[in-house]
Amino acid sequence: MTKLIASSFVTAVLAFLVLPVIFIVWVAFFDSSFLTFPPPGYTFHWFAEAARNPVFLNGFVTSLIVVAIASTISVFSGAMAAIVLVRYQFPGREALNGLLLSPLIIPNIVLGIALYIFFIAIADTLSIDLIASNVGLIIAHTMLVLPWAVRLIGANLIGMDRSIEEAACNLGAKSGTVFFRVTLPLMRGGIVAAALFSFIVSFENLELSLLIVSPGHTTLPIAQMQYLEFNMDPTIAAVSTVQILVIAALLLITDRFVKLSRIV
Amino acid sequence: MTASMMMIPATGIILLALVIPALILLRYSFNAYDPTQLMVEAFTLDNYTRFFHEPYFQQVMITTLTVSLECTLASLLLGYPVAYFLATTRSRFKSLLIILTIFPLLVGNVVRAAGWMTLFGTKGFINVVLMYLDIIDSPIKMMYTTFSVFVGMLCVILPFMILTLQGVLESIDFSLTEAAENLGASPFTAFRRVILPLSLPGIATGSILVFILCMNAYSTPVLLGGPSFSMMAPALYDQIASASNWPFGAALAFILTLATILATLISSLYFRRKLKAMAA
Repeated sequence: MTKLIASSFVTAVLAFLVLPVIFIVWVAFFDSSFLTFPPPGYTFHWFAEAARNPVFLNGFVTSLIVVAIASTISVFSGAMAAIVLVRYQFPGREALNGLLLSPLIIPNIVLGIALYIFFIAIADTLSIDLIASNVGLIIAHTMLVLPWAVRLIGANLIGMDRSIEEAACNLGAKSGTVFFRVTLPLMRGGIVAAALFSFIVSFENLELSLLIVSPGHTTLPIAQMQYLEFNMDPTIAAVSTVQILVIAALLLITDRFVKLSRIV
Repeated sequence: MTASMMMIPATGIILLALVIPALILLRYSFNAYDPTQLMVEAFTLDNYTRFFHEPYFQQVMITTLTVSLECTLASLLLGYPVAYFLATTRSRFKSLLIILTIFPLLVGNVVRAAGWMTLFGTKGFINVVLMYLDIIDSPIKMMYTTFSVFVGMLCVILPFMILTLQGVLESIDFSLTEAAENLGASPFTAFRRVILPLSLPGIATGSILVFILCMNAYSTPVLLGGPSFSMMAPALYDQIASASNWPFGAALAFILTLATILATLISSLYFRRKLKAMAA
């Protein structure tokens, strides 16, 4: 009896969590240009409509470009930093670690505002407008996802058995060979997790990017947000459904490499 | 490559994209504002004192704190049993249940807010069903109310709470409850006197994490609360983007950051004392 109550409570809470996602996917197939229950019929029409919408299409492309570049930079620089932070003892190590993780503590909206006034200051003094291109967004998102890369790759390094590297050394391998043939392959799990997690965190971020976007350089969540402030219809539901599918695919890939419950 | 060289890229990114911008923002918060010239170089605390003199912004801060506290409490009450179940279950569906918890988290706040809009709108699912069942005659207003913001935010923070609690609960040795029960404690007493104190660090970490998320929420209050529902993050954005009052906006940014850090410190102190009292 208690078991039944317990499992129905858990089911109810989890249903509450997925409810909005289920509804947005359902609405995307409604054969009606506005929101109406029950739907008069079902159609794939809104996906084609969404793909033709230049704002959403550009948003999707901008998001992909920004996310791909920012994730790559952050995984490389995060991996290097994680190796040093995990394997070397030096004064100020804790402080440096805290500094690299600080984007997680400061409100994203504050980070976005600080970057916005910084980019404007750069535009005023150096006449380089970082907001009118994707560069500003890439800088912002690299900073945003760097702590995840440091944390995930670092956690992987802490759990690594160093005796394999020592064995390779004892057998005469040079330090470079040890790194590329032993350490790097062992780091794979952490690197994959860092890359995919950076991708997801950056892809869905809104607050940080709000001020540093410009026409033609707007990310998908911001395009969705601006649309939603005036309309709620099957077109935006279709756009959201595509985004949900992308995230779901990435989630399944990530889960094959690392236990998701360990990293969130 | 030396160790210090390997630290340069990551440290450089944080210095360039976070430390320097934050220092400029801090400097701006001491500047003066003039409606015609916008920002005027100065060194004044006016922007900070203005926050404490304007009833509007105090109200915004109170709303933000109230909603954040309510959501944190609700997420704890709903999340703890789920986390407990996930930590103790031997069900083969466990990893599926965990994926179900994480998935909405990664879908993004905007998409989920859109999902709630389809449910809460005047012609939304809930109103249509209630009217069809003749429970109500005319639609209930759910969108742009405290209720819709509360539900939307709860949905955003609940996965974080569940995952944090689950992590801590999983590290607890549950044979301790059996020991307590063998010694004559009822299951409830065993839970209250053994498991609950041991999971207190998880309760603390989870509550602090979700409280911070609520304090800084932007998209959920804007989309589900509408223009009349003001919380700190949207108010802050408006000062910079619409009012173009950078000095005041900068001051608000630091007040929000400070309030968040302060609330975090107070609650971690509270939990530490509670933990000591329980251990004694």
